[in-house]
Formats: sequence, C-alpha cells, structure tokens
Amino acid sequence: MAKDTNGYNIIGKPMAMTDARAKVTGLGKYADDLSVPGMLIGKILHSPHAHARIRSIDTSQAEALAGVKVTATGEDARNPYGILPIGHDERAFALGKALYIGDNIAAVAATTPEVAERALDLIRVDYEQLPGWFDPEESMKASSNWINEERPQNIEKEYHHVFGDPEKGFGEADFIAEERYYAGEVNQAAMEPHATLAVWEPDNRLTVHSSTQVPFYLHRTIAAVCEMPMSQIRVIKPLIGGGFGGKSEIIPLEVAACVLAKKARKPVKITYTREEVFLAHRGRPITIVYLKVGLSRAGKITAVQARVIQDGGAYCGYGPVTVLYSGALLGAIYDIANVQYDGFRVLTNKPACGAMRGHGTVNVRFAFESILDQLSHQAGLDPLEVRRRNLLKAPCITANSLRVTSYGLPECIEKVFERSGWAEKKGNLPYGKGVGMACSHYVSGAANPIIRSNMPHTTVHIKIDRDAAVTVYTGASEIGQGSDTMQVQIAAEILGVSTDRIKLVAADTELTPIDLGSYSSRVTFMAGNACLNAAKDMRDQIVAAVARKFGCAADDFEVKDGRISHKSDAGKSLSFDEAVTVALEFHGALVARGTYAPPETARGGKFKGAGVGPSPAYSYSAQVAEVTVDPETGQVRVDKIVAAHDCGKALNPLTVEGQIEGSVYMGFGQALQEDMIWKDGRLMNPSLLEYRIPATKENPEIESIIVESIDPEGPFGAKEAGEGSLAATIPAIANAIFDAVGVRINSTPITPDKILDALREKQKLASGNGANAANKPVAAGGRL
Amino acid sequence: MIPAEFEYQAPKTLDEALRALGRHGDEAKILAGGHSLLPMMKLRLASPRYVVDIGRIRGMDYIREERDKIAIGALVTHAQVTTSELLRAKCPLLPETASEIGDMQVRNRGTIGGSIAHADPAADYPASILALDAEMVVQSSSGKRTIPAADFFVDLLTTQIRPGEILTEVRVPVKRAGEGTAYKKFHQPASGFAIVGAAARVIASKAGQIEDVALGMTGVGSKAYRATAVEKSLRGKTASESLIAEACGKAAQGIDPLADIFASAEYRREMASVFARRAIISALEKAMGRASSPSKGAAPGKTK
Ligand SMILES: Cc1cc2nc3c(=O)[nH]c(=O)nc-3n(C[C@H](O)[C@H](O)[C@H](O)COP(=O)(O)OP(=O)(O)OC[C@H]3O[C@@H](n4cnc5c(N)ncnc54)[C@H](O)[C@@H]3O)c2cc1C
Repeated sequence: MAKDTNGYNIIGKPMAMTDARAKVTGLGKYADDLSVPGMLIGKILHSPHAHARIRSIDTSQAEALAGVKVTATGEDARNPYGILPIGHDERAFALGKALYIGDNIAAVAATTPEVAERALDLIRVDYEQLPGWFDPEESMKASSNWINEERPQNIEKEYHHVFGDPEKGFGEADFIAEERYYAGEVNQAAMEPHATLAVWEPDNRLTVHSSTQVPFYLHRTIAAVCEMPMSQIRVIKPLIGGGFGGKSEIIPLEVAACVLAKKARKPVKITYTREEVFLAHRGRPITIVYLKVGLSRAGKITAVQARVIQDGGAYCGYGPVTVLYSGALLGAIYDIANVQYDGFRVLTNKPACGAMRGHGTVNVRFAFESILDQLSHQAGLDPLEVRRRNLLKAPCITANSLRVTSYGLPECIEKVFERSGWAEKKGNLPYGKGVGMACSHYVSGAANPIIRSNMPHTTVHIKIDRDAAVTVYTGASEIGQGSDTMQVQIAAEILGVSTDRIKLVAADTELTPIDLGSYSSRVTFMAGNACLNAAKDMRDQIVAAVARKFGCAADDFEVKDGRISHKSDAGKSLSFDEAVTVALEFHGALVARGTYAPPETARGGKFKGAGVGPSPAYSYSAQVAEVTVDPETGQVRVDKIVAAHDCGKALNPLTVEGQIEGSVYMGFGQALQEDMIWKDGRLMNPSLLEYRIPATKENPEIESIIVESIDPEGPFGAKEAGEGSLAATIPAIANAIFDAVGVRINSTPITPDKILDALREKQKLASGNGANAANKPVAAGGRL
Repeated sequence: MIPAEFEYQAPKTLDEALRALGRHGDEAKILAGGHSLLPMMKLRLASPRYVVDIGRIRGMDYIREERDKIAIGALVTHAQVTTSELLRAKCPLLPETASEIGDMQVRNRGTIGGSIAHADPAADYPASILALDAEMVVQSSSGKRTIPAADFFVDLLTTQIRPGEILTEVRVPVKRAGEGTAYKKFHQPASGFAIVGAAARVIASKAGQIEDVALGMTGVGSKAYRATAVEKSLRGKTASESLIAEACGKAAQGIDPLADIFASAEYRREMASVFARRAIISALEKAMGRASSPSKGAAPGKTK
C-alpha cells in the first residue's frame, strides 16, 4: 500500500462510501422499503386551518370502515415532547388547538393506503377558527390570541448580548452601513421523504425503524409519549436519503406511527408524501436581520449591531438554539471586538422550523457578508482585502468566548483569490458579468449537549473474534454524509488492516452505544475521536498480547500493512489473523471501547445563552462566485463558484469534495430560487414541481479546494466539512450580482423581478440626479 | 394524493375509442401521455369516472408531408417532434418549441395532441400552433371536422373539442421561401413551463422588408393568443431595432396577464415584450438569411 506524506495508509485517500453500491443499485433499504407481515399503513389527518380551537373529533365513521384497524387522536398520547428540554410543546396529535395548516389532528391505521386515505375523509372535526399570526414582526406585537399561552407576545425566546463596547466602536468607524435583510424560508427537500415503521413485537416491545438523524432522541421521546420504559423500545436507523437537519428532531409521523402501533398491537408504517414533508417542515426560518456595521478607513471592522427576528412557526423545535447560533457565529469568523446582538425567535401559525444545514448561521452570514461588500465599496477598498484585514490571530478566544484552535480562513481566502482570477476580474468584467466573494464558518459539533450531562457525547465499541473480522459498533447516524465510511477508515488505519476487514454496525439502540446524532456537524470530530480511541484500545490489547508472546515490550512493536511486527527484529512478526489468535488466548475476549466528550476549555462563556456556539473546532470557507445577469429579464446564471473549505485533515477527500459541492448547490438554491411561499399560513408550493431545488441543468460549475489546517484535537486533525460552505455561497452570488449590474438585492431568493425592480430604481435615481446613468449603464438590448 | 377511483379502458382502435367516449359522455377523460391528466387526477382537480387510454391505438403517431402541409398524428411525442428530420427541415418552429418543453421524461411521454387538447395557459405548443396557423383535426363517432388555430383555444384549459371527440391530427404548413421562425421562452424555474413563450414567424426580404409576420404568445394570459397589435405595427415595414422594440411593447396589449407565485402580472407583461422582441429578431434574422440569433446571456458589448 502506498503511503502519503503523513505516513497514513487509508486516511487522506479518496474512498468510495461503504454504502455506495447498495444505493446506486437500488438494493439498499430505506425505511419505506421495509415491510413486515401484518403491517398496517398509517395516514395522518392534518388541520385545514392555521389557528383553530378543536371543539370535537368524531372518528366513529372512520373506525366503521372495513379495513380500518385503529384511529388515534390527541387523547391517546397526551405527553408533550420537543427536542429541547425547554421546549416540550408538541404532542402526537393536537390537543385543544390546531396551530398551523398541516398540524396533526388524528391518524388511522388500515390494511391499505387507499382505505386509510378514505378513512381520513370520514373523520369529523369541529373547529372554531381563530385569527392567525403569519408575519413575525406583527406576531411579536400580539397582545392577545397568543399561539401558545405560555409564550406571551408570541415570543418563543429572546436573547440580548453585548461584547466589548459597540457604541465606542461605531464612534471609531469612518463608514457605517445600516440595512435590513430578509431571507425567505427554505426546506431541506431531502430526496427521501420521511418514513417510519413501528413494529409492535409479540413480547410487547416496540421496534422502530425510522428515517432519523437522531435515533437516541427519538428513543427517549417515544418512551415519554408512549409511556414505555426505554428498555422496552429499540430504535433502528436504516439507510437515509438525506437529512440536512430535516430529520434531526422528532417528526410527527414518528410518534404517530408508534402511537398507532401500540394501540393496534400491530406493525404500522407511515410514509410522508412530499406535501407532508413540507408541512412537517423543520427547515430554515424566514429571518429578518437589521444590521449595522462600522468600518475604519483602514478596513477594520469597528463594531457590529444586529437585531435578528426569526419566524419559527408554531412550535419551539430547535428555535432557541437557532437564534443563538445566529448571534454566536455572527462576528466570530473575524476579529471583531464590539458586537451587540438582539435575537428574537417568534411564533407564527406555520409549520415549525428547524436545524437546517448551516443551522442559524446562513441567513445572518448572507446579511453580514453583503454589508461588508457594501462597506468595502463605500470605503473604496477591495472587499477581499477587507476580509484579509479582519482575520483572527488563532489560536485565540473570540469576543464571545469561542475557542479557536485552528483557523484555515486566511489560506481559503488566498486560494480563491488565485484560482478565481479575482485580481483581473473584480470590477473589470463587462456589464452583466461580475464576481463576488464571501466567507463563512461552522462548528464541528456542539461542545455542550442538548440535554446537559457529564456523560460522553459518543461511544464506540469494537469487537474482534476468531474470524478476525473487526466489528465497529457505533451509535453515529450515517445520513449520506459518510459517517460509516469515516469510521471504517479510522479503525482500519489504526489497526493496520484493509477497510474490507471492518464491519460496521451503526445506529441501532439495541446493539450500538449512544451517539447524540448527526447534527451540528459533530460526527467526524466526535464519533471519529471515539472510534479512534476505541481502535487504539483494541490495537494496544493486541500488541500487548503479541509483545508478551515474544517476551518484549509493547513499545517495540508497530502495527501496519496487516502485520504486528517488531520494529528492529524482523523475525518477530505476526499476521493480523495470527495476532488475533494470540490476543484471544491472552485476553479471552477482544472488546474495546472509546468515548469522546469535548474538553472543558471548549465549552464557552458563562453568560445566558453561552452554551450555544462553542465547539471543539470550527471549519472555514471562502468563495468567489462568477455570474451573468440578463439586465432585460433579471435572470441570473451562476457561471462558476470557486470554494475553498478548511476541514482540518480531509480524512476522505472524495467525500469532502462531495460535501463542499452539495453545500454550494444548496446555497445556490436558496440564493436564487428556493422559497416557501405563504399565503395566510397556507404553503402555496408544497411540491417539487413548484419548489425548485437545483438540478444539474442550472447548477454552476464548482471548483472545490480543500484546505487542511490540521486541528490539534480532531481525529487525525479533522474538522467538519458538511455545512460550513453553504453560507458563503449566498452572499458571494449576491455580491457578484452587484459587481455585474450595480444593484444590491437584500432579500433571498434573488428572483429576476427583484433585480429588474432594483435596476429600474437605480436608473430612476440616476436620471433624477441628472447624472448620466451611473457607471454601469443599463444595456439597450438586442442588436440587428 | 391517490386519485379517486376510476375505470380504465384501453381501446385498440380509434373507432373503439370513439364508441367508448360516445357512451360515457363527459364522465370520460382521454388519456394520452398522462403528463397533464395524471397530475390533475392526483391533486383531485380531475376525477373522471372513466379513463380511456388512447395510447395503444396504432397509427396515430405519424409525421408525414401531404402537399404543402405536414400532418402530425395526435400521439406523436414531444421527443418525436424534436427529432423529426422532416419537421426540422420544413417546419423548424415546431421542433424548436418541443425541445423547450419540460424535461426529457416529459418529452418522451407527453404528446402533441394531449398538450394542445389540454390547453394549459403555460404550455409551449399553443404559441407555435397559432403562429403557424395550424389546423386541428378532431373526430367523433359522427364524423370529422377541422378547426383552424385561430378558433381553437377558447379559454384556460378549454378548446373547441367537445365531449366525445378526439383530436387525431395537427396540420402545419410547410415553410415558405423567405420565412424565418423562432421560439423564445422564459422557463418557470421549477416546472419548466412557460412564464412567457413567444413564437414568431416572419417572411421578409433580404433587405429586411417585412412581408408578413405572425406572433403567437403563451404563458401571459389565460390562453395563448396572437399578438395582433405587434403584427400590425410590423407588417409591410422595413425592420429596425427601434421599430421592433416599439412594436413589441404591445405584445400583451389588451391582455389581462396572469399572476402567480412565480411572476406578477406586471412582470409577465414586461417579459412578454422582451421575449416577443427576441423571437421576432431571431425569426427575422433567419428570414433575412443571416446568422442565428444573439446569445441568450447578458446584453453584449457594454463595459463598465
Ligand atoms: C414535470 C412536467 C413539466 C412539464 N413542462 C411542460 C412545459 O415546459 N411545457 C409544456 O408545454 N408542457 C409541459 N408539461 C406538460 C406536458 O407537455 C404534457 O405532456 C402535455 O401537456 C399533455 O400531453 P399528454 O400526452 O401527457 O396528455 P394527457 O395528460 O394524457 O392529457 C391531457 C389532457 O388532454 C386530453 N387529451 C389528451 N389527448 C387527447 C386527444 N388526442 N384528443 C382530445 N383530448 C386529449 C386528456 O383527456 C386530458 O384532459 C409538463 C408536464 C410535467 C409533468
């Protein structure tokens, strides 16, 4: 096997994902592919009203329909739940009030989907409609008719943070910009719609197969909702067709399937339609950002003031965390001493928002990087140069107590500067063409768990028996990001064997130890470290036995290329299989374990809300977008995006590139076309025929560049790669549009009509001033 | 959603199909490619009692020249139109239009008959059908009639086709000397349907003297229409950039533009002018025997 410069056999080499073959051949099993004898099909009745009191529900006609086995309503499972301990406001089915169009009212389990659907039509619900709250800025003024009586003024949570002295900072600014930004609502639109199969077992246990990123939290929640001990419940995560945060909390169908299965004492499967995916939502909230930033003549950011309002929908979900991330990661990418942040999470009568890829950071990053571009132009400075002048001096602690251990942002900036041809292009392209740049960053897992405890965040077990196969038992959830492959690589590297020898068992609460879940880009850092520790434990056990056999010290041996060999005596060497036999003779059983918990120093400050934002390490990204704008129609084509991402050590460059590209596509979608369009709480485009996620047809060319700032605490120096690049794409495109046609669009998606309106406005201003149509003339159009 | 229950019938001949339709009256729906009907049924916007699948009828997918016309069977798919050598040579507007419809899957299944009979206000064919002065041949158990394009489209999703009738053939004229055609489309980003589609047919001299012009518009209003005000302003004139721009300002004259979640009425009206102009210029250049139209992208030439 070839070695790379770091002496690794497997780490740092491109490797196809372990589940790739199953996925591309269609043989892999997703939750909806599963079926068991006697399985019923569940369907959920959703509220047609945005805000309504439920006077009564009559399911008798539905129950009388042939083929219907059971129905369920809020009375069948009264215990509340929610992903955050401070936000247990959801129930299996609405009790008392329906809070959005699509809220869960009742469900049926029947022998076929057709019967189940017909049964839904037979459920009679008597509603008393209430006025609804749809606009977050209106909603937070509410003096009565609150969505949740325990949340006065419809405010779920607010946070107010001041670091340094913002007032003084603004006093020192030579240029100040103040803008309002608006980011529309987007959904993950994962290819696989949610599905859950809840199997009531003959011994009165419950086995739940679900498309989840968080089997552990699902496990806890089912126990609470179904009033069963966790020890009687088993949660299994099958193959997942994309999560992006849409499956990172408990989704209504998961509890509905369990409640129905328990009541029917039969297996029940529910699969969402695409419309139901949109109604269960948990995507990125509408975010309004009032942003003020000061810049000195020298290009130093002197102060930041942000007021952020997030339209959270009708339930808490991850809301308080989302709004805290918006504040915590707002300034911390650069060296900014003075920051004021006021964040509001507001309730409205719409589906709950959630922890979508780039959780909390994306919309504020759009605002921040846009305003920085604007200020740079005001100051007559190159916006890329302004980023250079505001870099952190890592390692360091930011103004809001985030510990930065590795910081590849400077290299990311230089890489995209070179590869995009920034120096030649910026400001020099013909009218209608432009370049823009922006940066972003993200956490590699949250240093503080959702449910506070001193237990590890993740644990990995490894077992080897007489077949000399290495079985890794991990709680980490593969959701398409490469979690399984990453752990196979790590175990193989440490044990000196090929990846074929590793078998991985993941995310099954009966077999695998706990991992908190696939969210906040925590898996490589945390499960990777736990796997590394477990593999080292295993290696040490094997080496100890081998050393003892040869009567040498363990330190004299090394593990590589499938052998355990004495470093200086070639005669003392065993193959891995021989070594396993020796080790089993010595230890009896070969079982190893590894855990990971973030160090105390990574856990952040002491102020209220300080728990969110701290991470053991941060990823960084810089991007340059090149666009063509048609000034007659306002249509934008993104020609190319150069994206550099600092992921620490790239354990698998193939999957890192995949993650960078995926992030850029998703950001591109939000920048230009994705938007959940609401009318009085009704989603107007709940299908992929109306809600356009990017496809190869319009996707830009992407050049992804991996920057490796080896992190001192990451496994082999690795950090996150799956989220951090998304946020930079949106402002990079917005800034490129400005470079192309001279208008700034402060709201996403940047649709053609917005550009046209802005161009017209600009022309009006220019002709109003008597000036000749600014430096960027609006083109006259076609020629003959 | 799952469609409401229906009875499925698959006649093997046109006569059989006509008889079935005669029996069921307006309780029946014809199924061709299914790419408009099935989505409607799944959304329960249509709940026919009977679905008569004409897809198995043989001999309804021809494209053949008949004197100065090309006859196209109703079951010809969008993909067949796109790739037909005959049409590309003798009526290039139709293949150009068909190539802009939806995506590959839609083009492989959807039929010209289905699209025209469905009369979606954002469908592409209707603009070209109008610009070409095509004829629609419909048959029922009591006979056959031919409907000119100008009379065919009645309103949103409504045509002259009556219950019991099947659209069997579309007839388009063979391209004349000095004729240039073009279809320019603003795609709705999600579905690919036309927010605005402009189909132009121009007959002009090499010097740019416009002898005749036809401009069919789709996507703008509740049905496709001929932009007669534009045509009038151009007919008999010598083409110039400013003349065309001014004329195309009237592309949505007298039309009440649609408004939906993707485009406001105002934006549609404005785009109608832009795409009408682009289509006319492109068709004119072809008529004048010049190189093909300017690029789709940014306006050329201007620097900052
Ligand atoms: C994702 C998607 C994208 C699309 N994008 C576009 C687009 O960009 N542009 C565009 O123009 N279209 C688009 N379409 C529509 C597509 O072109 C359809 O195929 C077409 O509109 C209908 O043709 P069909 O053969 O599928 O008809 P069907 O769906 O089978 O029938 C449509 C209607 O016409 C009737 N009908 C069908 N054939 C006949 C006949 N011979 N005589 C009388 N009545 C008949 C049916 O009863 C029904 O009412 C799209 C469709 C989809 C699903």
